[in-house]
Parts: sequence; structure tokens; C-alpha cells
Amino acid sequence: MRDIGRLVLVLSLIGVISAGTLAYVRAALDARIEHQEDLHVRGPALSRLFARPAPDLLANKLAFRAGGREYPVFYLDDGGQVDRLAVEAAGRGGYGGDVVVMIGLDLARRTLIGVEIVSHHETPGVGARIERESFRAQWTGLALDEPVALRSAGGDLDAISGATFSSRAMVDGTNQVIELLRDHADEIVELAAGGERPARAKGGS
Amino acid sequence: MTAVRALTHGFWRNLPPFRLVLGLCPALAITTAAEYGLGMGLAVTFVLVFSNALVSLLRRVIPDEVRIASFIVVIATLVVLVELAMKAYFYPLSRTLGIYVPLIVVNCIILGRAEAFASRNPVLVSAADGLGVGLGYTISLIVVGSLREILGAGTWFGRPVFGDGFEPFGFMVKAPGAFLCLGLLLGVMNAWSRRRGEIFVQT
Amino acid sequence: MDLLLLVIGAIFVNNVLLAQYLGNCPFCGVSKKLDTAAGMGLAVIFVAVLASVLTWVAHYFVLVPLDLEYLQTLVFVLLIAALVQLVEIFLKKKSQALYRSLGIYLPLITTNCAVLGIALLNIKHELDFATMLIYATSSAAGFALAIVLFAGVRERLLLSPVPPAMRGTAIALVTAGVMSLAFLGFAGMVE
Repeated sequence: MRDIGRLVLVLSLIGVISAGTLAYVRAALDARIEHQEDLHVRGPALSRLFARPAPDLLANKLAFRAGGREYPVFYLDDGGQVDRLAVEAAGRGGYGGDVVVMIGLDLARRTLIGVEIVSHHETPGVGARIERESFRAQWTGLALDEPVALRSAGGDLDAISGATFSSRAMVDGTNQVIELLRDHADEIVELAAGGERPARAKGGS
Repeated sequence: MTAVRALTHGFWRNLPPFRLVLGLCPALAITTAAEYGLGMGLAVTFVLVFSNALVSLLRRVIPDEVRIASFIVVIATLVVLVELAMKAYFYPLSRTLGIYVPLIVVNCIILGRAEAFASRNPVLVSAADGLGVGLGYTISLIVVGSLREILGAGTWFGRPVFGDGFEPFGFMVKAPGAFLCLGLLLGVMNAWSRRRGEIFVQT
Repeated sequence: MDLLLLVIGAIFVNNVLLAQYLGNCPFCGVSKKLDTAAGMGLAVIFVAVLASVLTWVAHYFVLVPLDLEYLQTLVFVLLIAALVQLVEIFLKKKSQALYRSLGIYLPLITTNCAVLGIALLNIKHELDFATMLIYATSSAAGFALAIVLFAGVRERLLLSPVPPAMRGTAIALVTAGVMSLAFLGFAGMVE
């Protein structure tokens, strides 16, 4: 009986020490990991949208909660005025899961600056063609005020042939952002202009 | 056995994955470039040194029945530490290595050294053994990685080594190239050992 | 149709062993004879599917709600180790015949990266439960297929005049390379 007690004691001690160490290290590195994720996952998309090096853009970040989802929002506030946003959304219904898109928005002209793909699991050579410049160029200059749709659903966007699911997921992500802006544009701008350190977004991509 | 001897054994007598045929999966999977070999090798070395030291330190405390379970907890903790550190400081590398970083936990070299060496030897010697085997493994991974990168992509640590006229053997960075490269290297090492008259049986 | 593609993709195109390099230690270790290879293959299918279910549930119902995803590796490997122990005890009690055929391979499976690898891939690909079940089963079946085919080749190799330096693991790896080349031919089937 003493033996079993010892087994349990030793194992639990090792477990507790290990969990403690990991929790401590994770807490210490959390901010750094999130920054690295932003820099390497979102950074390239952001810097293409705003034509600026990513490290300058990442500090202006906030996480906006709406409809049970959390949207990472990056903003540009040149001259004190928040005039451009980049909002990330997970477009549902892709062939291999969510297609995470980053939509650039010009608030003054009320148009879309463009769309960038942050991450996707679409099939290489088929669905992955959503990454192509020629396909994504269709987003540039679209009006910010009305939902977009594929031509097959009565809209103006041409889907990639053979990759309807992937194209549809991009449209879904875009419309999430457009709806978010329709309902909460003022709040977001206020949060961004307030300059207070916004609540940090949860990790993960 | 002294710490120095334990250290040097890792470089030839126990050189993984060639002499100690363990830890093949990463040796095949991530050696598409020398840089990845270096990263994976150092990650494994870190885990090996500390797991050997900790296992040796705890060898009189841990009851025999839960030996393996305790080793696994110690190793897994170290691997999670490496995962977090790699994400924080070498993010692009951690994305390239992907699931092969958490898979270090089932790399047989680590559990093998814990069971066969560290649970029977004092702390310093065990740590030295971990360092030796780990560095040996790192060198092997860099060699395999360099071969595959130079032939398969025409670069070494990302820098081009051939002129523009070089057409890379794409085959080398694909799966068959990995198996072939490792098999042939193993053959060359065996031939070398036989010439030196070392008795060495690989089953 | 999609599911069929998933199955073919997991068994042939992205074969766990020959394309994803998972589980090579048992691959070289127990592939010398056809019947041991078949035993190992079956044991891996059995454990990999159970482990996938267990780890999937643990990930989505425990780790994600508690925001402990960073402990994934630790939790998964412990679950698999515990699972293997339980299966061993259960088999010993309930089915002597099955225990005799699978039992000796079970301890080896704890450190088989194919099992942990499949469990991690399920999460990485963000599969839902049903898809995960199919993916895990076919991936493990791919492992079994490769190891059995390979054992057949190795039995023949014993009769061939292999240069002394290449005997054993060296020639086994080269053979695996040739097999992997054959499997590469499936890559065109599922893009």
C-alpha cells in the first residue's frame, strides 16, 4: 500500500512541477509569440495592403468582438485621423476549412482597398488559386456599403472555375467584414482613435 | 565512464541515426535543407541534455513501475518548452518544422538514452552523453540536409552554390530522395567501419 | 466523392510512412517478416484510431475551452501512453488470442510517431469528428499497407546478394526509397 502511495506521489509531483514550469514560461513568452505570429502570418498581408513595412503596422491593433466572433483589426491613423482599416475574418465554407482573409478598407472613399489571404487549407493547384493576384484584383475598389456575391449568385465577382467552394469562402469572409463595418464602424474608429491599449486578441491563427 | 568519454562517444560510436539507428523520422522528414537540420538537431540536443540530466537526478526517487511514464512527462515538458521558445524566437522555422517539433517527444533517441544510459549513470556523465549524442545527431542532420539541399535545390543554407546553368534534382528534396540519401550514407559509413576493422552489426 | 478522395489521399498520396515519414523506427525494426509486419500494422490501426478519437475529444472539449492548447503535446503523449497500457491490460484479460498476436507490439507503439503524428494532423487539418475518423483510419491503413508490402520485399531481399556494407538497415532504406518513388506516382490522382 505504501508503494502505491509513493507511485502516485512521485508522479503527481513531477506533473505539478512540469505544469507549473510550462504555465510560467508560456505566460512569459505569450506576448512575444503573438507578436511573432502577427509579424509572420498577418504581416505580409498587411504590408501589401497598405504598401508599408509590416513592423510599423502591427502596433495599431485591436480585437473587436461582434456576433460571438473576434475580429483582429489593424488601423492606419496618419495625421491623427483613422482613415484606413484592415480587418481579418475567417471565411466559412472553404473546401479544406476556413479561408482567413484580410480586407483592406478605405473609410474616406468608402471602398475596399483589396483582399489578402492570411491562411487557407485549400487544395494546391485548385482552390489555392484564390491566392492569385488576378482573382483578388476583383476586390479592389468595391463599394463598402453593400454585400458582395459571386456571379452565380447574382453578384459581380467571377469565381475561380473548379474552385467554387474556395471562392465562396472568400466572399463569406468579405461579407462578414462588410457587415461588421455597417453595424459597428463608429465604435471601431472610436476604439482606434482612443489610442487606449485594446484588449489583446487570443492567440492562434 | 568519464564525462568526456561519454561526450565523445556520441560523435562516432553512438552516432545517431547512423550507428544508433534511432530517430529516423525527423532525419528523413526535415532534412530538405541544411538549416532545418541544424534547427531540429539543436532542439533535440536541448531536450536530450536536460532529459538525461533530470532523469539521472531523479533515478533514485522514481519507482520502477512508473519509470517510463515519468520519463515521458519529463521529456514532453521539455519538448513543449522547445515548442514555445521556437515559436517566440524562430517563428518561421517553427512553421516549417510543423508537427515534427512536437514529435520530438516520441523520438526514440531521447527515451532510449534516458532508459539505457541516464537511469544508470550520474548526472554530469548523463548530461555529457546527452550533449554528445545530440550534437552527433545535429551533425548528421546537417550532413543529410546539406546533401539534399545542394543537389535538390542548388543552395546551401539558402545561398546558391552552382551557377545559373544548374538544374536541381527535385527528386532529392522529395520523399524518395530522403530514403535513398540516408540509405546510401549509411552504406558508406558501414563500408568505412569495415575498412577500419570495426565489428559493427546493424540489424 | 470527397470522402473517397480523402481516403485515397490518406492511404496512397500522403502515405504516413512513405510521404510523411512517420513511424520509421518500427518500419525498419519489425518489417523483416511478413506476419510480424501484419501484426504491427493491425496494432497500429487499432491504437491510432482509438488514440485519434481520444485526443480529438480531449483537444476540443478540454484544451480549447480552457485555453491550454500549448499543452497539446504533453497531453496527447500521456493519453496515448495510458491508452496503450489500458489496451494491453484489457487484451490480456479478455482475449488471449488477440493478445498473443498484438500484445508484443503494443509497448512499441507508445513511441511510434505514426500514432501521435496522426493525432496531431487531425487537429492541424481542423477536421470534424466524422472526417477525422475516416482520415485516421485510412492513414493508419496506409501505414499497415506500406509495412506489409515492405516486409514482402525484405523477405525476398534476404535471398539477394547485397554488398556487405549495404546489408541491414542501409538496403532497407534504399528499398523504402524505391517504394516511396512508386507511391509518388499516385500524386497525380488527387491534386
